[in-house]
Amino acid sequence: MKQIILNEWKRFLRVRLLTYLTVLFVLVLTLITWLGILQSNAQLEQQLAAREHVRKQWETLEAMNPHGAAHYGSYAFKPVSSLNGIDEGVNHITGNVLRLEGHVQNEIVYSETSQSLSVSKFGKLKPSLLLQYVIPLLLIFLAFGLVSSEKETGRLKLLVFQGAPLSKLILAKALSIWFYSLLLLTTTVLVQTALNNGDTDLLQRTFLLLLAYAAYYYVVTLFAVYLSARLRSNTAALSMLLAVWILWTIFLPKIWGHTADKFYPLPSRQEFKTAMQDDRSKGIDGHNPADKREEELKQEVLAMYKVDSLEQLPINFDGIVMQADEEYGNQVWDRHFGANNMLLQKQKKAYQLSGLFNPFASLQSVSMGFSGTDMLHHLDFLRQAENYRRNLIKRLNNEHAYGGSKTGDWNWKVDNVFFRSIKDFEYKSPSITSMSGHYFIDLLCLIAWVLLATFVVTFTANKIRLT
Amino acid sequence: MKDFISILQYEFRHFARSSFKTVSLVLFVAAAVYGLQNGYDLFRKQQVEIAGIQAENDEKTNEVANQLEKGEISPEGAPWINLTTPFWAIWKAPTTAVKPPSPLMPYAIGQAEQFGYYKSVTTWSSTFDSDLAEEIANPERLTTGTLDFSFAVLYLLPILAIILLFNIGGLEKDLRFDQLVQVNNRSRKKWLLARFAFYFLLLIGVLLLLMLPYAAITGALKDEFSAFMELVSYTVFYVLIWFVIFYFVNLSKRGSASQALKMVAVWLLLCIVLPGSIHQVASLKYPTSYMTDYIDANRDETYKLWDLPTDSIRSRLLVLYPELSKTKQGKDALTNEEIINDSSSGLVNELMKNTARTIESRNERKNRFIRSTYVFNPVGFFQNKLNAVARSDYYAYSQFRADIQSMIDRKVHTLLFDSWNEETVTKERYLQYVKHFKNDTK
Repeated sequence: MKQIILNEWKRFLRVRLLTYLTVLFVLVLTLITWLGILQSNAQLEQQLAAREHVRKQWETLEAMNPHGAAHYGSYAFKPVSSLNGIDEGVNHITGNVLRLEGHVQNEIVYSETSQSLSVSKFGKLKPSLLLQYVIPLLLIFLAFGLVSSEKETGRLKLLVFQGAPLSKLILAKALSIWFYSLLLLTTTVLVQTALNNGDTDLLQRTFLLLLAYAAYYYVVTLFAVYLSARLRSNTAALSMLLAVWILWTIFLPKIWGHTADKFYPLPSRQEFKTAMQDDRSKGIDGHNPADKREEELKQEVLAMYKVDSLEQLPINFDGIVMQADEEYGNQVWDRHFGANNMLLQKQKKAYQLSGLFNPFASLQSVSMGFSGTDMLHHLDFLRQAENYRRNLIKRLNNEHAYGGSKTGDWNWKVDNVFFRSIKDFEYKSPSITSMSGHYFIDLLCLIAWVLLATFVVTFTANKIRLT
Repeated sequence: MKDFISILQYEFRHFARSSFKTVSLVLFVAAAVYGLQNGYDLFRKQQVEIAGIQAENDEKTNEVANQLEKGEISPEGAPWINLTTPFWAIWKAPTTAVKPPSPLMPYAIGQAEQFGYYKSVTTWSSTFDSDLAEEIANPERLTTGTLDFSFAVLYLLPILAIILLFNIGGLEKDLRFDQLVQVNNRSRKKWLLARFAFYFLLLIGVLLLLMLPYAAITGALKDEFSAFMELVSYTVFYVLIWFVIFYFVNLSKRGSASQALKMVAVWLLLCIVLPGSIHQVASLKYPTSYMTDYIDANRDETYKLWDLPTDSIRSRLLVLYPELSKTKQGKDALTNEEIINDSSSGLVNELMKNTARTIESRNERKNRFIRSTYVFNPVGFFQNKLNAVARSDYYAYSQFRADIQSMIDRKVHTLLFDSWNEETVTKERYLQYVKHFKNDTK
């Protein structure tokens, strides 16, 4: 087998066009990995500048009523992950700016796609674009004639009669191309690792990316060489392989993504907004209007402080009411956004299951996931931003309630020292260890495909006709 | 001509006998119908959503109109509201800007899923408010993209063309009877051209057959005939470009496999690599904006305006709207502080308009760059052209923002002039308000 692989490599090296093509691919991959990092860094700089700008405004706030400050609010700017340079995932589709304020949970807005005309349906020329679409096609081009041309010239018979089982021959030829794909893959990973300041999590993610792509290329090359042996001619093998490539990478992801959306339909924004507003005003169970809740809270607080009226309270009841309303609103938000997130995760799972018949879906999912740019990482950002918003508003409401003012005193102000004491929002990207469970299905599907490809070649190849 | 017809007949037989080609065509038709249906579903969904919003607004309008008719100037539990004042009547006039979907949407969903198509408009609104967000959707699905008709035409049709054409002239070479063809036909170029013409006509015929029923269902044939014809023209021209490229590939006489490889390489270059490169360069040249200018205007600058003393608000408004000097409040030396302070949205609107202009011009710079690449990026050109005809491109939504701004302007203008004139709002005036604020976006 080693000899066959070496022979194939020698043959590859003899083809001058392939040598040029390899050099070109290595250069292009190096260049676009570098450009990807450059673009991510430029984006990160913009994000940091925006964050500092808004923080400065917060820190230089003049004395203000805490509730006024809750309306003034803050902003969370979505950062790009370090591996955004490899696979941008959903980042260009989702918004980047989230306003954090009292009473209301805003939607994240200002996505990159909403800021210009449409450019590319397959995303930017990042390593993921080449690694997912172009390189598998190159592997197909390299593999489609590997056995069929030997068959056409009658050399295949000779090789088998000399004692090389067809399964081993196919495996060896496929491995020779797979090693070639690993060369291209390693180039990307090395450039990415060299140019990025690598912490352990980043290295783990990069390593997992390498494994996932290597597994996918293994499946592609093995099936390509197998079909090259199985089908009668070069043309038939090429046609079939191209058909499979189109089906896997173009057709199925779109159709299955849409189907998952139909299986678990999300509400329209209007329906969602109306349901939230209804719950907020009527009460979650529909018979607990806001005013009634306020009265109950008032009686509770008066009893706690053993006084008869709000004027006698040593604290500001307005702050307590606002915080209670905020907490009630949080419950409403948790319920509705929780339901949406559940639907989104079901859609994600349904899509992941398509990995059973489309390994490309698994690759795409783990590529985004390991790069920290998939929907799950996006939802994690939204969750952390919402938690920050809740803490921020709670601190402001508590200051309003217990900071020294009395009920109804809306002109009472806190100074800048208080505002500065509130920490800025800092997004902590989840570690891959904490997220890995989400990609279990994808990994399992990729492993299953690797085993299936090996099984098919090992156990069925010897039955293929040699002419 | 006779030769030409006989080649077409021969080609039809060749096509009909090739199960690979016929199945590919059937699959393409299935994908295109699926895409058309997706577009049509979105078209219907948006129509239904808009109708629901309008019905809700009508209900709210009737409620306020009835209150005014009965003389109930303050709704129950809200004594501070006085519906007979322009400020509150305008506040209670439900106004939603909507962008109805074009009847041509089934052909190109374009960027429709990345923009909001309705927005509640008040005197405090702006064109970049967060309630103009897109519909709730799975971002991974949006990243993968929807298989709409334009996708089928722009990306899948060239693949279908490859399948149909890769062995035209190549098969003869593979089977080594290309010399025989040469002997039988005086010009190989014409022979190839005639065979290509068959597939070109076949694809155009199929496309028209697919397009017409949906145009009839959505009313595009009646209401948007010229736009529909424009769409058809772009489609025909696009298919023609691919056929011309593939014709030159096949002229090289290298055999089916070599022709297929070259065709796929061209497809890869024009459909994936080139648009992807332009996208990447555009992002490097014009990084995504975090809209700090908008944030500043919407927050710090607006807060500063709110803190202005009444006199300053009044004098600034008189500069912006000189006609206000002819109103009661404009003429009076003693002004009603409440009316003037309630008019500060006039100043905020101007501030937000200026900021929106900056944002739009920043986006326009990026768009100019994208357009400048059309010379060597035909797929990008046709993609945005189809989207433009179906009113689902960036500019359609930019126009929608302009319409929203015009609605805000109308609201602010009415608020300023009617409240400064101390008008009393009756039921009739209120209904006039509602009618006047409606948008007429198509």
